[in-house]
Amino acid sequence: MSDVTGRQGEDHKTVADIDPLELSRRRPEWSASQPMTRPQKAFLVALLAFVAVSFICVPLKAAQGVIAVCTLFYVVSTLYKFVVIRASLSPSAILRFSAKEIADCEPREWPVFSVLVPMYKEPETVKQMVASLAAMDYPADKKDVQILLEADDEVTLAAARALTLPSGFRVTEIPKSFPRTKPKACNIGLHLAKGEYLVIYDAEDLPEKDQLKKAVLAFETSPEKVVCVQSRLNYYNPQQNVLTRWFTAEYSAWFDLQLPGLAALGAVIPLGGTSNHFKTKTLQALMGWDAYNVTEDCDLGVRLGRAGYATRMLETTTWEEACSDLRFWIKQRTRWQKGYIQTWFVHMRSPLRLLKELGAVNFLHYQLLVGGGTFSVLINPLFWAMALVWFVFRPEGVAQLFPGPVFAAGAACLFLGNFVFIYINLLGCCKRKRDGLMWWSLLTPVYWVMMSYSGWRAFIQFFRDPFVWEKTQHGLVKKS
Amino acid sequence: MDQDRKTYRLVRLLTGGVTPVLLAGALLAFARLHDGAWEPGVQVAGICRELIAGTTEGRQALFGSCWMAPLPVLFYLPFAWLLPEPVAGWAAFFAAWLFVFWAVREAVKAAGVSGWRIVLAQAALAGMMVVSRQPQALQIATALTTGLALLTAASLADWAAFRRLRDVVATGATGAFLLLCGISFFGPATLAVGLLPFAACGHRETRSRFQAWLLLGWLPMVYTAGVWLLMNRLILGDSFYFLRSVQHLVPRVYLFLPAVLAPGFLLVPALIATWAIDARKATPGSGGTAASALLISLALVLMASAQVYRLFGLGWDTVKLSVCVLAVLMIALARLRQPFFRLAVSLVLFVWLSTLWLGGEAPVSVPESRDQICKEVEDHVNARTQYGRIFVLGYAGLDLLRDYTGERLVPNMDLHVGSQRRAYKGQNLYVLVPRPVGQVRAESVFWKYPDIYEQGAERLLYAGTFGSWRLFEVVSAPTQEQLDEWKKVR
Repeated sequence: MSDVTGRQGEDHKTVADIDPLELSRRRPEWSASQPMTRPQKAFLVALLAFVAVSFICVPLKAAQGVIAVCTLFYVVSTLYKFVVIRASLSPSAILRFSAKEIADCEPREWPVFSVLVPMYKEPETVKQMVASLAAMDYPADKKDVQILLEADDEVTLAAARALTLPSGFRVTEIPKSFPRTKPKACNIGLHLAKGEYLVIYDAEDLPEKDQLKKAVLAFETSPEKVVCVQSRLNYYNPQQNVLTRWFTAEYSAWFDLQLPGLAALGAVIPLGGTSNHFKTKTLQALMGWDAYNVTEDCDLGVRLGRAGYATRMLETTTWEEACSDLRFWIKQRTRWQKGYIQTWFVHMRSPLRLLKELGAVNFLHYQLLVGGGTFSVLINPLFWAMALVWFVFRPEGVAQLFPGPVFAAGAACLFLGNFVFIYINLLGCCKRKRDGLMWWSLLTPVYWVMMSYSGWRAFIQFFRDPFVWEKTQHGLVKKS
Repeated sequence: MDQDRKTYRLVRLLTGGVTPVLLAGALLAFARLHDGAWEPGVQVAGICRELIAGTTEGRQALFGSCWMAPLPVLFYLPFAWLLPEPVAGWAAFFAAWLFVFWAVREAVKAAGVSGWRIVLAQAALAGMMVVSRQPQALQIATALTTGLALLTAASLADWAAFRRLRDVVATGATGAFLLLCGISFFGPATLAVGLLPFAACGHRETRSRFQAWLLLGWLPMVYTAGVWLLMNRLILGDSFYFLRSVQHLVPRVYLFLPAVLAPGFLLVPALIATWAIDARKATPGSGGTAASALLISLALVLMASAQVYRLFGLGWDTVKLSVCVLAVLMIALARLRQPFFRLAVSLVLFVWLSTLWLGGEAPVSVPESRDQICKEVEDHVNARTQYGRIFVLGYAGLDLLRDYTGERLVPNMDLHVGSQRRAYKGQNLYVLVPRPVGQVRAESVFWKYPDIYEQGAERLLYAGTFGSWRLFEVVSAPTQEQLDEWKKVR
């Protein structure tokens, strides 16, 4: 992947000149435009056939084998969480810049910073978004803000046109074409970006005011290979209902503990959807985002790792709106999990090449983070059901499936592993100083059930509608 | 910058890798010279054998007693599964002591003590184990409790000193694991973890987050206790099964519980000192003095706990507590900032003084010949019937059967004479009972049938004595098949 060459110096382009699907056209093997390759399909069919035949011929042995593999996976995942959370304590886990450090480097010439804000049918958030970005502590003449709007999204276009945009702000119309995804819009924005650095924000995002300056300092003080800096994301509406409480607890654990831990370990980082800052030229050289991948950010994080680049975490927060409606939450989570499945299949098209490019340790990170995350939400219901049946009815059949050591490992995962996962959420809340949410985090297992439901929905959708983008509904906090 | 990083890596390798490996290896070599000292504790290997075989007895043994704690068994289980004995015992011993030396490093380094001083502290602890000549002090159960007690005490002290989130987590987690080390540590672990949120009340900033410290600190221990209760309910049918022996052993159990927690009063002065120092500081954290006060107070709590158990006639497990007291005191000494030479002298002096203390502990009794007893019992029963089945009772029974490969003798953790008769209808049943001395008094059979060893019990008739064991025959009316067989013989 390091053989990627960009088209630097191609200035003065218009929207019509830009190919937002360049990645899928020039390097189709890196794109989810084809969800699974033929060898992958053949392997999957062979694996399923092998499992089915085993269950028919030697049902008990087959079931014991499957359960042993799953138990081993749970053990490794739990240990992995320990390692990642332990690593998050490292000073190198997150880049920190105090207000004094920022003030000390003034006066100085700040580089042009491009900001991309993709929006779709969100007229009510345009005003807030413009105000929020205009208020950011960065020289107005160095801001290059593009509001990316679909050409047929008349309501949002009208709302944007009705405003007097500050200097440095512009609206970029995205021509109607397939697929209608956020990354496709971002690719057009990337081509038109003027800044040395570039960041993506969602329409409802409220980034901390000094975030752009911190990002610049982070790039300037980090080694050359650091081409992406991920800000922490959190929610401003945790108290809205129980769903937003759980969601906030999960985000606190993910962005405040797990991602810093991964950064400290030098691992591949599945980027968050917004507030990831890039060196523009490198991103252009990598041909931007995969327009067919519904978690293009996660995929890009892996591609950065494959190309030998590094991502770091930055101590600054972008406040977002937590989805407060269960239906929309399930749609959003389905998309995320489907995207993880897409990403896993894209990069596993040639596993040996992936191993060579990422290295053994990062390869393992990739498997546990991207593949393992989805695998666990898919198999969890099976194990919950078995545990429940065993506790209530104590049938001999279930006990037979867990021979000695597998039973011990399974029991450890059931009692220790699940506790660790809940405790990590508590820790995340504590670190975020959201102490009130900690009590709600004790009920996280209910949230896991919802995640598993979305996971199965995503798994089915991956085969039926791989490119469907179930958009997250924002602005619910205002409506409520 | 690079030089600093290189030095840091070297120190980390020295204190976290080379020294612990060398010292654990040296202790293993030393322990092998002392018969039985390297063994994985009295019954741990027997329980693991049953667990690997997937028997009900194994599961009952894992959770069924507060005296035979689950943690050493769970620690030993992977070794027993992967390696043959005695290699499993050596490997577990080595790993347990590696953990202790790593714990020493973690306990000392937070106070800003440099590399060679950590090595000195690690060597002093190893020296203390060697010169004490106390085989029980070297067993893996003692090593695990020592390591956990060190981590609990040091992280609580660091919490008082620096108010770091990681110290709350470490105290909560190690305290919960300490709870799984047996009833001797119930009091000290509960007190250490219980103190955690209150220790933060001195400063306004941390006091306002009391519920966070309460949840993060207490939850692991509450959850661990809950799981232990649940396991007892699921496996033995009684949530408090593992504690029932206390009712039998302690005549006034209503005094025992307050007595176990009474050493908590020893923590009050250190707590007040922590509050006083913390309240006067601009940022939370009461510094090294309060940390030292807490460490010494926790050592006193461990010491007082040992006295409480002796007072109630349960002092057979106090070697572990004594080793923990000495280890915590030694850590408190090693954390003090003093010149290297003075630290070395004071640690040597401390090791020498510790021999006086540990030398006073009762030595472990010489184990009986397990194979011989099993063979004699088997021969005795075979001479009388070819349908005999002998239930060897309790944890002592699991130890007796460690190397037994026959089918006549079977372990039994929860004796129900009636249900065994129904389950083994037509067979001649026997019960092999250990002598109720020391920790064996806590076996479930003695709170169910208090006079069984001396007088037998209903339907149990004395059949012989083998070493310290007594064999009883289960008397029952003959079945029709047995009557027919006897008629044929006549």
